[in-house]
Amino acid sequence: MRGVSKVFARQGGELEVLRDVNLTVKSGELVCLLGPSGCGKSTLLNMVGGFDAPSTGTIEIDGRPVTGPDPKRVFVFQEYGIFPWASVWDNVALGLRHRPKEEVARITQHYVELVGLAGFERSFPSELSGGMRQRVAVARALAVSPDVVFMDEPLGALDSLTRLAMRSEILRLWQSEGMTILFVTHDVDESIQLADRVVVMSPRPGRIAEIVSVDLPHPRDIGSPEYGRIKNRLYELLGVTHAV
Amino acid sequence: MHVLLAEPPGPNLAPYIVAVFAVVLLRVGTRLRDPAPKVLLPLAAFVLFVCAWQVAADLARYELRDKEGNFLRMVEVFPAPWATLVGMREPFTDGTLLRYAVASLYRVAAGFVIAAGIGIPLGLWAGWHLRGFQAINPLIQALRPISPIAWIPIAILWFGVKDASAIFLIALSSFFPIVTGAMTAVRTIPVVYVRSAQNFGLTGSELFRRVVLPAAMPQIITALRFALGIAWMVIVAAEMIAVDSGLGYLVMDARNANYYDRVVGAMITIGIIGILLDLGMRRLELLDEVRWGFPSQREEVVEEAARPRLDAERERTETAVAR
Repeated sequence: MRGVSKVFARQGGELEVLRDVNLTVKSGELVCLLGPSGCGKSTLLNMVGGFDAPSTGTIEIDGRPVTGPDPKRVFVFQEYGIFPWASVWDNVALGLRHRPKEEVARITQHYVELVGLAGFERSFPSELSGGMRQRVAVARALAVSPDVVFMDEPLGALDSLTRLAMRSEILRLWQSEGMTILFVTHDVDESIQLADRVVVMSPRPGRIAEIVSVDLPHPRDIGSPEYGRIKNRLYELLGVTHAV
Repeated sequence: MHVLLAEPPGPNLAPYIVAVFAVVLLRVGTRLRDPAPKVLLPLAAFVLFVCAWQVAADLARYELRDKEGNFLRMVEVFPAPWATLVGMREPFTDGTLLRYAVASLYRVAAGFVIAAGIGIPLGLWAGWHLRGFQAINPLIQALRPISPIAWIPIAILWFGVKDASAIFLIALSSFFPIVTGAMTAVRTIPVVYVRSAQNFGLTGSELFRRVVLPAAMPQIITALRFALGIAWMVIVAAEMIAVDSGLGYLVMDARNANYYDRVVGAMITIGIIGILLDLGMRRLELLDEVRWGFPSQREEVVEEAARPRLDAERERTETAVAR
């Protein structure tokens, strides 16, 4: 991303959401965009994903400008985005429509099992818990073997225990599948637990305040002094005091 | 010489006695656990209604006497429940009732299918294309408030006193709720579904078939159910004027012949068929593909959750009152 900005037209003027964002993400990297609500991190993700075009600047993936959504770069949304009218199986198989039948069955079965939903293939999303629905969304994304997965606060709607469990699930899948993940969150702990690098964004207009590397091996010890140091640094950048 | 035919009957106590039982049933029904109240409460309400009907009929009738003041007979102003049943025996046994019901149902079915056949595709199209919506929505919303009854003269002018008139009126009356429902259904599809679909490469007819149509289906079914209810109301009005068969015609024809028991009997038949049609439409909500759009259990869950609290409250009030 080079010099990316975004301005929305709105009643009585314009709203500058992002200003001069420059960021390079390496293949296979897990990068978190961290910032308060309204700092433009979701807008940025939507533009990288091809749902929206930047007002200025360019976004390139593998040297080619992004012109629209692409099945090689898939989204996992906070509201899941899985289809309530389709079974778990049909949801996961969504991106595999044009492949031979046996291949679809094999891949779908594999990813349903990988996210721990074996036995729920015929269930409908309304019969599943929030965490299970998010697993469906993750399996659907992984089934197309994407180069990049965009996660827009994917765990925001889950309770804190499920969120913890899902974080280690995501790490496990990331390590085994080797794709690039761009992960949007406003949760400081989440970003330190997951990311290779945390991109801290400042609010309105959204800019990159600082990029903090997290050079800790997985699984990360949330009680270690290094973890605490990074956490303090992130809170400082976000302008909130750590001690309450 | 005058023959004394009979003495006027004394006051009819039966409805009052039955009503007391119905009230007891209501009291008992509210205190029981589900599912018993689901049957008992509507039954009690129904019985109370029939009692009130009987009492009203009793109060309204008057004694007919000759010049000398001798009692001749009672004159019914409107039919009591039992008289209605007796009055319906003839149309029921000679097949008229069935024939008329079938005639009404046929017209509703034909008009409804035409309305759905045009309304659903048009609504889906206008819901998806903003320009299409902008173009036709004002027109639809302007035509919608015109009562189908107001169209009856036009229908007769165009189609004569024939089935086609009634079918046209039914199609017209159900078209507007269906097209509006389908439009709104598509316009309110959450953007996250459309984005997911685009992200996985769905376009054109595939996007429509796999996302737009299933996402809109629950609201379309609700619109169809609503439209069928309207159609069933309109058919009766249409048949009173525009044709010479059907349940609406039965109401009008019986009135002209001064058979008020048949008027009321036909009304009851209309009500029963209306309920059955609605129950039939509700079955559609249970299909796997649309069940997600109808949180039918919610009401009862809330009620169950609220019960302990409400019970505790009532107990507190009752103790306070007792003190």
